[in-house]
Amino acid sequence: MTDVRAPETDPFDAAAEPDDPSRPGPASPAGGAFGLAGWLKWAWRQLTSMRIALVLLFLLALGSVPGSMLPQQGNNPSGVQQYFVSHPALAPWLNHLGLFNVFGAPWFAAIYLLLFVSLVGCVVPRTFRLAGSARTLPPRAPRHLARLPRSAEYATALPPAEAGIWVSAEKGYLREAGNLLFHLALLGVLVSVALGGLFGYKADRLLVQGTTFADTASALDEFHPGRLVTAADLAPFTITLNKFDASYIASGSQRGQPAAFDAQIGYTEQPGGPARTGHLEVNRPLSIDGATVYLIGHGYAPRFKVTDARGQVVYDAPTPFIAGTTGNFMSEGVVKVPDARPEQLGFTGVFVPTAVDVGGTLESVFPAADNPVVSLIAYAGNLGTNDGVSQSVYQLDTSGMQRLTTSPQVLQQGQSLKLPGGQGTITFTGYVPWVSLAITHDPGQLPALICGIAALGGLLLSFMIRRRRVFVRARSGENGTTVQVGGLARTDASGGFEAEFASLAAELRAACQQGRHPQREAE
Amino acid sequence: MLAAAVVTAALLAVALVAAFAGGGSSGVTYLDGNDTAVLYASGHRPLAPEFSSTTLAGTPMRLSSYRGQVVVLNFWGSWCPPCRAEAPALAAVARHYQPGGVSFLGVDERDSQASAEAFVRNFGVAYPSVSDPSQVIALDFSAVVPLAGTPTTLVIDPSGHIAGAVFESATYSELAAILAKVTGKGG
Repeated sequence: MTDVRAPETDPFDAAAEPDDPSRPGPASPAGGAFGLAGWLKWAWRQLTSMRIALVLLFLLALGSVPGSMLPQQGNNPSGVQQYFVSHPALAPWLNHLGLFNVFGAPWFAAIYLLLFVSLVGCVVPRTFRLAGSARTLPPRAPRHLARLPRSAEYATALPPAEAGIWVSAEKGYLREAGNLLFHLALLGVLVSVALGGLFGYKADRLLVQGTTFADTASALDEFHPGRLVTAADLAPFTITLNKFDASYIASGSQRGQPAAFDAQIGYTEQPGGPARTGHLEVNRPLSIDGATVYLIGHGYAPRFKVTDARGQVVYDAPTPFIAGTTGNFMSEGVVKVPDARPEQLGFTGVFVPTAVDVGGTLESVFPAADNPVVSLIAYAGNLGTNDGVSQSVYQLDTSGMQRLTTSPQVLQQGQSLKLPGGQGTITFTGYVPWVSLAITHDPGQLPALICGIAALGGLLLSFMIRRRRVFVRARSGENGTTVQVGGLARTDASGGFEAEFASLAAELRAACQQGRHPQREAE
Repeated sequence: MLAAAVVTAALLAVALVAAFAGGGSSGVTYLDGNDTAVLYASGHRPLAPEFSSTTLAGTPMRLSSYRGQVVVLNFWGSWCPPCRAEAPALAAVARHYQPGGVSFLGVDERDSQASAEAFVRNFGVAYPSVSDPSQVIALDFSAVVPLAGTPTTLVIDPSGHIAGAVFESATYSELAAILAKVTGKGG
């Protein structure tokens, strides 16, 4: 787009302003007669300055560091507990500073809220300015065109009546359009993120092979709905884990590293709906009815059968154990048998997928279950489950219990442990894998993607398109009329403007010499 | 322009606070505020979704076979401490109201057969329970009442509509109050 301006219009263009005008007002309110309003204005300008935005962005990155270095309450509560045990002096201090829940900590919220306010406060006024700037006509031709970065001059035989006029022209308005698009898209990204937070949800569910779960609040292990989401907004699908396969690299320096995970699932979009099958792999989620289901973890669930003192089977189920930090899927878990009589029974256990005895200690040498054993410590007494207070299924409160076995008892598949005092028997009957699923719904995802692409497009436009101005002025001189041409590129990215200007100047000169008037021709 | 920017920023900030605060909540949303025991006025009673399943004893069972009776439907699990806490009260309510024609039915959630049977033996539960290991029955009910966890106890009227609910551990007095309204007989 090219705008050409003739002197018939208002030669003084108030709207014409430099690309990024320094903001009006003082750099600091100190020393002037500033009231509260002045201070507020000053604070707002500081907050919305690019410098503060960058500082906040840096702080945000810095604040995220403990979030990735320390175990977090949200995704790794057992890791936090382990940290408390191994660092008893340091952990309470870190906890006071919110470092085990960084992304929910008030100081972290303060940083990102300030950053958002800073961004919005910067982007909104800038958007208005850019919109104005994109509509602005080029300014009147300067008096001394020879002082411009590019200029040319030639004499012509134009009649004197036509002398004294000027033309100014500008090209590259798309640059401002790109700038505008970038800023609007940036706002769009913010709104999309807010949209996801208001109308989206995140949920987790552990699913043992061979079992089914329905996507309802009471069946989810974790459910974090957005502000405007209720349990009734969950997509009513069901998922069955038919089979889970994990394969590992068997030799070489990468031995024990995962090679592939594949969860074969069956699902229905509504209860009673047609049954479908699908695969879940890491980074290959499944979309069901607006929700996205990710495979985020897996482990082993050893199956135990417990009979109590009366000889009645009081427990017979696979029990998910969670892999610890020692590697090779050495996993810890708890078996609670609340209905054993005369006393409730509890077991803490370790599942070792490929067990070897290293100097009297069990170690796992491979993550696949090639030689699975469990090591159990038995307790009897009060589990604390009957007083109505919810408790973690991965922890055993032994304060009301008495330890039945002095040392951990190791069981191979099919082996049983007879509890002392005729309290009963526990049998390790086998194991099945489990998977951990993350169910997310983020309505802001697509708008955020579109806005992200638009922002990138806008940025490219604003980088690649040069805004440049060319002025032509005719003066009556003693020897006829002198035509001056001057030009400047409004940005540093002025590469190529020299050639463009030279060819334009040559074209003008040629046209004048042939006695034609370029502006007339344009009409 | 500054004012417009401030207003826009404030609005966005509020939206963002709301969005992020939502992510950190406990995860359970009750539509009826803090009231956990609810009574639905006639005309506002949601229809209980039909289900068919097998009882822990292996007998096929349909909810619609209870049509014409008041049914107390209790969602429970042997693994769930609040369910264990309410079990004695529920057994007592059943002993008191069953002779008067109120039926009781349990829905055993995300449980194993062995654990569920041990629970029933232990607490002397004298009414049947259907197995719902995948919680599909809970899913169906969550479409009509804000069933957000286990335990939940629903009272269904003779026409098959949900007349009352306790959305957590139920007490004798809560159930008695709901049953008095639904059966039309004093506690």
